[in-house]
Amino acid sequence: MRGLLLASLLAVGCRPAADRQPVSGPLSVSDATGRTVSLAAPAQRIVSLLPSFTELLFAIGAGDHLVGRTAWCDYPPAARAVPSVGDGMPPNVEAVAAPRPDLVVLYHSGPNVTAAEQLARLKIPAVLVDLNRLEDLGPAVRMLGRLTGHEASAESLAAAMDSLASRPEAPAFTSIVFVVWDNPPIIIGRGSYLHQLAALAGARNVFDDVAVPSAQVSLETIAARNPEWVAVLSESAAAPAFAARREWRAVRAVREGRFLNLPGSLFGRPGPRSGQAVRELRARLEAAP
Amino acid sequence: MRWVALGVAAGLALVASVVLGPAAVPLGELTRSDIVWSLRVPRAVLAFLVGGSLGVAGASLQALVRNPLADPFLLGLSGGAGLGAVVALAIHLSGPWALPLAAFAGALGALALVYRMGLVGGAALDPRILLLAGVAVGAFAAAITTAIVSLADAAELRNAFLWLWGGLSAASWDTVLVLVLYAPLPLAVLFAAARPLDLLALGEEPARYLGADVERVKRRVYLAASLLTAAAVAVSGVIGFVGLVVPHIARLAWGHRHRALLPAAFIGGGALLAIADTLARTVVAPRELPVGVVTALIGVPVFALLLRRWTIA
Repeated sequence: MRGLLLASLLAVGCRPAADRQPVSGPLSVSDATGRTVSLAAPAQRIVSLLPSFTELLFAIGAGDHLVGRTAWCDYPPAARAVPSVGDGMPPNVEAVAAPRPDLVVLYHSGPNVTAAEQLARLKIPAVLVDLNRLEDLGPAVRMLGRLTGHEASAESLAAAMDSLASRPEAPAFTSIVFVVWDNPPIIIGRGSYLHQLAALAGARNVFDDVAVPSAQVSLETIAARNPEWVAVLSESAAAPAFAARREWRAVRAVREGRFLNLPGSLFGRPGPRSGQAVRELRARLEAAP
Repeated sequence: MRWVALGVAAGLALVASVVLGPAAVPLGELTRSDIVWSLRVPRAVLAFLVGGSLGVAGASLQALVRNPLADPFLLGLSGGAGLGAVVALAIHLSGPWALPLAAFAGALGALALVYRMGLVGGAALDPRILLLAGVAVGAFAAAITTAIVSLADAAELRNAFLWLWGGLSAASWDTVLVLVLYAPLPLAVLFAAARPLDLLALGEEPARYLGADVERVKRRVYLAASLLTAAAVAVSGVIGFVGLVVPHIARLAWGHRHRALLPAAFIGGGALLAIADTLARTVVAPRELPVGVVTALIGVPVFALLLRRWTIA
């Protein structure tokens, strides 16, 4: 314990000169709900309640401060060694509080706002962070860097994330539909992270006129827009069950078996590996006949 | 005159659901388009069959339990179907028909349980107990469903609810064929019970004096209406308001004679659902509305108007 304290004091003392924050005194940030969250010192015991946050914390070198993660946090491999506090949907506040964290990082959603309020009653600082699209990554990383005292490495990662988010879309050489659910058919629209991945990888989302992240559509619209590929988030390589249903065979890509099964761990979450996700998606689209 | 109007409405509903859709298909290519033949036509036919089945099931159940609030889904069937679908997802049943079959099995389970609870003393079917048992079984199934969804660690399970409120997206010639083979038997049983249902409306004692085999009628009507509803859930999820509102509208126009009321509820229910589904597919295209929302948005104002005219007259 004393070693940890000493290490943290050293970490505080060794912060780069470019960092304008006072070395002593409370750290405060304004989170996604506009609440001010203040820490007396950089967080040493962090519970991350989103796989993306877990990946980002490891990427900026704060992974060894994690004392809790969700059941879904499977990357990097070292994350699995951190004790799970449940699936986080919604967070089990007692399980989150049990390892006595000095910072809880939550995705900004309705149930999580309630959980953050309950944590505040337990005097456990909790930040709610928006992380829906590529452009959310930079600000999220900077905030995590400040709260954990890893600002230098956070800044370089944030700069990489910002440049990925502002990269112009690649010229589309193919087209794609992301099917989230088959009955009723729910697809990904322009407002979503997956749409951004596809655009950067050179695939036109045939539902780029749908502004929201996801929406229910008619099967005939999918058939009429005739995408080259049907992408599903799936860990297995097998075609999805709906491929065998007769009504789906009205979609040419389904008839021809042109499915892209994208593992959710890499493709389903914005994070430090988003650039890798774009490259892999592009490689898979290019490799196919 | 009423029949002509209803027939024209049904015809227009079917034509509209084939001609209109979110994908632009020129009128000249209507008969050759794959989208029309493999998606729109089966969907229109399925909408009509499901809507008609729900209308008839609702009208019969309202007469059986002598309660105007009776709805085909009130008797625990939607809860049972939801539980079936969630269990199928939880134990990773695969195959294109896994969900509909599991939902059908769940609905049958709920039906059997409610039926058994409604059989007072092992013989007489008590409509009041049937209603209470239906609500209780439905609530119990919903509780188990929620428990499974919140305990299981597959996010996919949450989608079982989407499936349950799914509407007619799964329409294909396969689903139409299933319903065409299945529905005529329970429909025939219900149409054949038209006269005894008229008598039942007078009360069980008078019906008995007038020569109706009350117990047999009640059992047959309950089982046939529920089997019809279970099939509707399996192919299209829970679609609200058709089974509640259409029988009342039909009753306002055709009176309480079931010989006319049941066919009118069938055609009216079919027309309402076909129109509602067409609107669901087209008004916010390329997006789609849940069809249950549209059935309520159309059905309730029509119902309110008729109700007003009827109570003033």
